[in-house]
Amino acid sequence: MRSRCLVYVLCLAMLNLGSPLVAQAELVSTLQAVEASTRAQDLAAVNAALARDEVRAQFEALGVEPAQIESRIAALTDAELRTLAGQMADMPAGADALAVIGIVFLVLLILEAVGVIDIFKKFP
Amino acid sequence: MTAPGPVRAVLAIAAALIVAGCAVRGPVLAPAATGAGGRVELESTPFFPQERYQCGPAALATVLSAAGVDVTADSLVPEVYIPGRAGSLQAELVAATRRHDRLPYILPPTLDALLATLDGGLPVLVLQKQGAGPFPGWHYAVVVGYDASRDHFVLRSGTEQRKELSARHFLATWDRAERWALVAVQPGALPPAPDFARYMEAAAGLEAVGLLDAAALAYEAAARGWPAESLPQFALANLAYARGDLAAAERGFHAAVRLNPQDAAARNNRAEALRALGCPTLARREIEVARMLAAGGPLSATVEATARAIASHEIGDVAGCPPD
Repeated sequence: MRSRCLVYVLCLAMLNLGSPLVAQAELVSTLQAVEASTRAQDLAAVNAALARDEVRAQFEALGVEPAQIESRIAALTDAELRTLAGQMADMPAGADALAVIGIVFLVLLILEAVGVIDIFKKFP
Repeated sequence: MTAPGPVRAVLAIAAALIVAGCAVRGPVLAPAATGAGGRVELESTPFFPQERYQCGPAALATVLSAAGVDVTADSLVPEVYIPGRAGSLQAELVAATRRHDRLPYILPPTLDALLATLDGGLPVLVLQKQGAGPFPGWHYAVVVGYDASRDHFVLRSGTEQRKELSARHFLATWDRAERWALVAVQPGALPPAPDFARYMEAAAGLEAVGLLDAAALAYEAAARGWPAESLPQFALANLAYARGDLAAAERGFHAAVRLNPQDAAARNNRAEALRALGCPTLARREIEVARMLAAGGPLSATVEATARAIASHEIGDVAGCPPD
């Protein structure tokens, strides 16, 4: 009885999995049509599911709140996921120029203090 | 305190580079600016002073609020901020714009496109690169105006509500960020001076993440704005097919084929819609043309799959099939 129940459940699950795939197989999606004209075609061959897993792992590693990760991934297109996957640590992350200026100022101050340069005339 | 030889040489080179960088003179904006008397400032654009490292959420809140979304910089932090990078990525600003039901349009990387967008009344989120070498200072800001006679831009930037930046300085930092610029557009409206391919890519992105109503509004705007292009008709027909409205889908694909008879994707999809409607005779004719057009291209596998599905359709035409 239990195994028959299991068979029914599995059949149902397969139906659910199967139908959208069949319907999509013969239709060219709009994004596919757009990308076919604008992007290198080999990109499409890269598995979007793999890119998704990779981005998820990078989000975790970079300290994104676990509760936010799924909704952030859901708003990215496959092409964006492929771009992000593997590169998240190196891509430009807009932050704050003040930090950079601070570091440069600190370096100049140290150089001044140890006598390598002499640009702050009033510096003791 | 005098510098030793090598250090003095480095300083001299640096000074020479700075002087060389400033050597080319002449206004940047005067020749490019044409609209609105050469001066625009979108004064009503809101301002969200940024917290430390959080120019991404602040800049995004600025353009989203200007597009009528009820957000703050703080409310966007969990959506776009990455603690491990102490910043935000471009792709995530695009994705968050979508999540708030706005079309994320990436501008063509030209000064003309930037000025035309400001002339059209939309503030522009830009990426700037200010640092150098091992300390690249990536920064997001929002351009809200320009003044050609004074050759400067006006930005909402960091903690400054109204930052005037010389056009030369702004362009230098924008160039080094590959002139990346984003606007948030109300679905159903077109951005000022829109580029068709960029607009359609943004609209298709809405559809791809499941925002079908916003995508439909965007495609309808494209169909009105570019009546000679087949892609908006094709896109609307895809949405109709997904809703299960096969008759409307077939009409839309047919409209796309009439606008561009070389469009293999439109012919493939029309053939599939005809098959699903129970019109295999016309579907066969359409898929044969699609096969010739798609041969060797990226769509050939899909077209072959459609052809097989039509070939295995054994029942004849139902009543009411289109004549051609």
